[in-house]
Amino acid sequence: MVETRDSLTEFRNLDHTLDEETYNFEHFRTRHLLSDAWRTLQTRGIPPGEVAPDFLLPRVGGGTVRLSDLRGKPVLLRFGSFT
Amino acid sequence: MGSVEPFRKLHARWGGQVHFLVVEVRQAHPGPDYPRHTSAEQKLEEAREHHQEANAPWITLVDDLQGTVHQVYGGLSDPSYLIDAEGRVAFYNLWSYAPVLYEAIARLLEQGGRGVVMGGVNRLPHLGPAVTDGWPAIQRGLPQSLVDLETAMPGGGALLWLGHQARPLLAPLTLRAKPLPQGLTLGLAAGAALVGFALGCWLLGARGTEALAFPRRRTNGQTAPELANATPTHLPPRLPVAETVSG
Repeated sequence: MVETRDSLTEFRNLDHTLDEETYNFEHFRTRHLLSDAWRTLQTRGIPPGEVAPDFLLPRVGGGTVRLSDLRGKPVLLRFGSFT
Repeated sequence: MGSVEPFRKLHARWGGQVHFLVVEVRQAHPGPDYPRHTSAEQKLEEAREHHQEANAPWITLVDDLQGTVHQVYGGLSDPSYLIDAEGRVAFYNLWSYAPVLYEAIARLLEQGGRGVVMGGVNRLPHLGPAVTDGWPAIQRGLPQSLVDLETAMPGGGALLWLGHQARPLLAPLTLRAKPLPQGLTLGLAAGAALVGFALGCWLLGARGTEALAFPRRRTNGQTAPELANATPTHLPPRLPVAETVSG
């Protein structure tokens, strides 16, 4: 279950959002490297100073975590893959 | 996720003052044992496995199959955001690097946990941790992950394997969490420049500076005066005058 501060539809309509099939690629290719390079050049993401988009995500071990519930203390938020 | 060890060191230092969250995203290098995610249950189970294998002291969250949160936050392969106590982005590290995050956290806490720090953004891909500790991630997806990586980036897989073999040598430098003292950073940079200069001089010395401007000539061990008096062998033989046909 994912909720974001802005609607899912809004983000899905943005030209840089990938559909499920494309996002979960079967083979790592050169275009994925190039995409990362392009996104780096564009500094794609949430700019400094802006409110970090809220979300509610399931947690390993059970339960869920909502980002906005953690205010009052800084958060280090990292995105990563097992492979 | 990249190397876990530096992140664990960060948590050991700052875990009491900062919430540490890791969001599990798509498989970056899928393979037979860890194919791309096709169900939420599969993604959650593999996230659990990842969390346990890393003996993670942080909270691991699982994004949806479409990677909605991941894509909202830019969709890069290994980014980190430092979010301040008011929920605003204090620092965006596009390619997670523990020493940079260490300093960002320290500065944020110095200013009461609020505001932007260190210019707000670091875009530099730091290859040290990836080269030192990237091989286990590829190993999970073997053999497909290696074939795909070598196809997409020739030499990339070999470099990760070599880096993994050299891990005991590289780790103290590449898997640290704390920034190097500035003097040591300058010293390493100067040392690298010196090694590069010495290597360049050696290469020039071995070939000779003249070899850079003129084609190489075969001397057959002759000295310079002998060479000056030698008959050029590349010209046709001169005919004797008496044999010239006249009339």
